[in-house]
Amino acid sequence: MPGKSLSPWTLSWFGSAMIALLLALVLALAAGIGPEDFDRPEALAIVHLFALGWLAQVMLGALVQFVPVLAARPLAFSRLALPALLASSLGTLALAGGFLSLDGYEIARPFFLLGPVALGLGFAMLAVMILATLVTRQTLRLPEVRMVLVALAGLAGLWLSGAAMVSTLAGSRVAVDLSQALPLHMLFGIGGFLTFAAFGVSYKLFAMFLLAPEAASWQRRAVFALAAMMAGLMLTGLLMLAGDAGITPLLIAVCGISLAGAALYLDDVRRLWQARRRAHPELNMSWSRMALGFLALSVLLLPFAIWQGGALARASVFAALVGWLSTLTLAQMIRITAFLTWIQIFAPLIGRRKVPTVQSLTHPRRAGLALTIWSLSAAIGTLSLATGFHAGFRLALCGLLIAATQILCELVAIRSLSHLPAPERPGLLPPLILPAFLKSQHSAENQI
Amino acid sequence: MTDIAAGLEQALRGVCDPETGRDLIAMGMIYEARIVGVSAHVTMTTTTRGCPLTEMLRLGVEAAVLAVPGIEAAEIRLSWDPPWTPERMEPLPF
Repeated sequence: MPGKSLSPWTLSWFGSAMIALLLALVLALAAGIGPEDFDRPEALAIVHLFALGWLAQVMLGALVQFVPVLAARPLAFSRLALPALLASSLGTLALAGGFLSLDGYEIARPFFLLGPVALGLGFAMLAVMILATLVTRQTLRLPEVRMVLVALAGLAGLWLSGAAMVSTLAGSRVAVDLSQALPLHMLFGIGGFLTFAAFGVSYKLFAMFLLAPEAASWQRRAVFALAAMMAGLMLTGLLMLAGDAGITPLLIAVCGISLAGAALYLDDVRRLWQARRRAHPELNMSWSRMALGFLALSVLLLPFAIWQGGALARASVFAALVGWLSTLTLAQMIRITAFLTWIQIFAPLIGRRKVPTVQSLTHPRRAGLALTIWSLSAAIGTLSLATGFHAGFRLALCGLLIAATQILCELVAIRSLSHLPAPERPGLLPPLILPAFLKSQHSAENQI
Repeated sequence: MTDIAAGLEQALRGVCDPETGRDLIAMGMIYEARIVGVSAHVTMTTTTRGCPLTEMLRLGVEAAVLAVPGIEAAEIRLSWDPPWTPERMEPLPF
């Protein structure tokens, strides 16, 4: 089997995430969500569909694919990938549906409690796979591996804070102060889990794509130390929350650490960029630079978000989720999908006949246009949220939906080898998002 | 250089890294290649130890080497000592 160290379910994770992204954007437009509407139950449902269904799913799918590369060993307990995907998808849908119970739809109330249970199950299965693969004496020395482990601690904090908030909203006995829990929950999700995981993965991926030296720098070690400190502080905040203590001083400390950590990370990436041997970086790396710009913007807005809350807090969160994490993910997803497709179809032909490059499976100009629309819309959305400009925010949502649809079409084109000249395409293609082994043996043999 | 040795080099030049489109010698991924009688012995690496393409690249090199007239056996060994670095790449001709 080509690429036996690869998880066969990665494209299913990506497919599920893309569906959630499109669904979230369509629902946000249909529900008329504007800059002042983020307290509405349907807005909370849509935000969770976006953050969990799109970003968390795609990040977890990427981690399942990528930890074997980090650890240089096959994925442990790889059979858990499918049940983990199903549990986290069910949990996301249940949670999103459950939020509607806050709007009086009593029928949705049971889903509210089912959401955290299913999500917890899915996250636990993923944590088992990732920890069992990554934790060895050799790999633990690598800062990027440690960063992924801190991200898992962030995921645990995200789940714990989220479950406590759901319990409170559902009227259970376990209750927390929601005004204190909310900023901590968002910091766990955006910073503690998604950003730390993106840092850990990007150190290796950026070096590989740029052909830059992989050696760990002092900046990387410092970023890990700050990330560990931040995760520790946030987990302490969780305990303080349970004890009804105020966490404002802790949030200020987390804000300071975020600023320092992001600055060091950006400096480390600048160092990689300057040391690269690839003279003309590919599309995924060019657009990752745009994502890094949004990282800087969201972190610069963070002190105002914590100090003032309101519009600037929403702008900071939007810049992080849509500008930083989504732009990075979409740009890399195009490249990773092309790479996985190449492995499935052309890897068995290496050395036997001329094979196309991975890049030739993509259409950089078309994908670049989609990413331009996405980034512009992310910028307009951030500005509109900061200024409370309703029409601007709605325009941004339209742009995001157009860009996401274009990227989905591009991903399908990559999987279908549409950008390759006809003589270079095999007769049979692997399934779009399901593993190739689900096709009959006869079909699989004819793919190549 | 004998015909077989020239054929071996040509074969290795025919196997490309799919990420860059450059052949494995230009990428600096071939650490050693020698002929002993009718056998070829190649030591190669990958750009990162956990590369998902590792085994497929090894098998591809084996297939390319065995297609060289005069070579009847091939031993393709993987090594990450020393690890590959971008400095090993041949400079681009332009």
